[in-house]
Amino acid sequence: MSAMKAGDVLFEVTLPPAGRARLAAFSEGTQDPNPIHVDEAFAKGAGFPTVLQQGPMTTAQFARLLEEYAGAECTRVLDVFFTAPVFPEDTLVLKAEVTEISDVIRCALTANKLDGAQTAKGTAELKR
Amino acid sequence: MRMERSGHSYPPYRLKPDRALARKLMAGLGIDSDPERVPPTYMIFLRGETLGVDLFVDLDIPRQKALHGGQRYEWFEPIGWDDELAVHVKVDKIVEKQSKRGPVWFADVTFDYRRASDDKLVLRELTRLVKQS
Repeated sequence: MSAMKAGDVLFEVTLPPAGRARLAAFSEGTQDPNPIHVDEAFAKGAGFPTVLQQGPMTTAQFARLLEEYAGAECTRVLDVFFTAPVFPEDTLVLKAEVTEISDVIRCALTANKLDGAQTAKGTAELKR
Repeated sequence: MRMERSGHSYPPYRLKPDRALARKLMAGLGIDSDPERVPPTYMIFLRGETLGVDLFVDLDIPRQKALHGGQRYEWFEPIGWDDELAVHVKVDKIVEKQSKRGPVWFADVTFDYRRASDDKLVLRELTRLVKQS
């Protein structure tokens, strides 16, 4: 991490579709009772074509990848905005790019579908 | 939306990490193994729903009108498996904005996780909830 500079890509990782079974596991693991993640009819009633992947799954994947690429317990702040729905068959590309090196390392985060549509954006602050 | 809940603090509740739930969370991420450490985003506002802080009910956000706008985590100290946490919850603000489909409400809610043994703040989580009209 000490050799990082602004503009460097910390990671750019393609995550395969989560699929419905993983959505159900994530709901169970986070104690999320919202049927929109597991119940097709409920999701359609809410105006979506199928069940929705949890936004916090994207947050958790960013947190996991930041640990993997920057080190355990190096992340001080992770701030994520969910900008578009994600569905179980969506492949996502999660990217962290260094924007500033000061007393901490700041990164810009993006999550995009393969067609380029952004589903999340945010920032992270890492210990040096 | 219960706009009057802006600024409201809830009585704190207690929470301990649960290895079985953590394993499920990780399985949801595609990792099928027992996590050595408490996953960084294990603490999440949803766990408060059965412990006295059900924001969807209290703020009047029906599930079919609810969207999750985002999350912010700030870590101060690692959380161990044996740590019991006191969770202090405050509705920071609720804002109404107009959209083409009618009003939309945005609620920012902060969860402060304090280690029960020494009252030290170990984690702050901000969750952003959205109610569509």
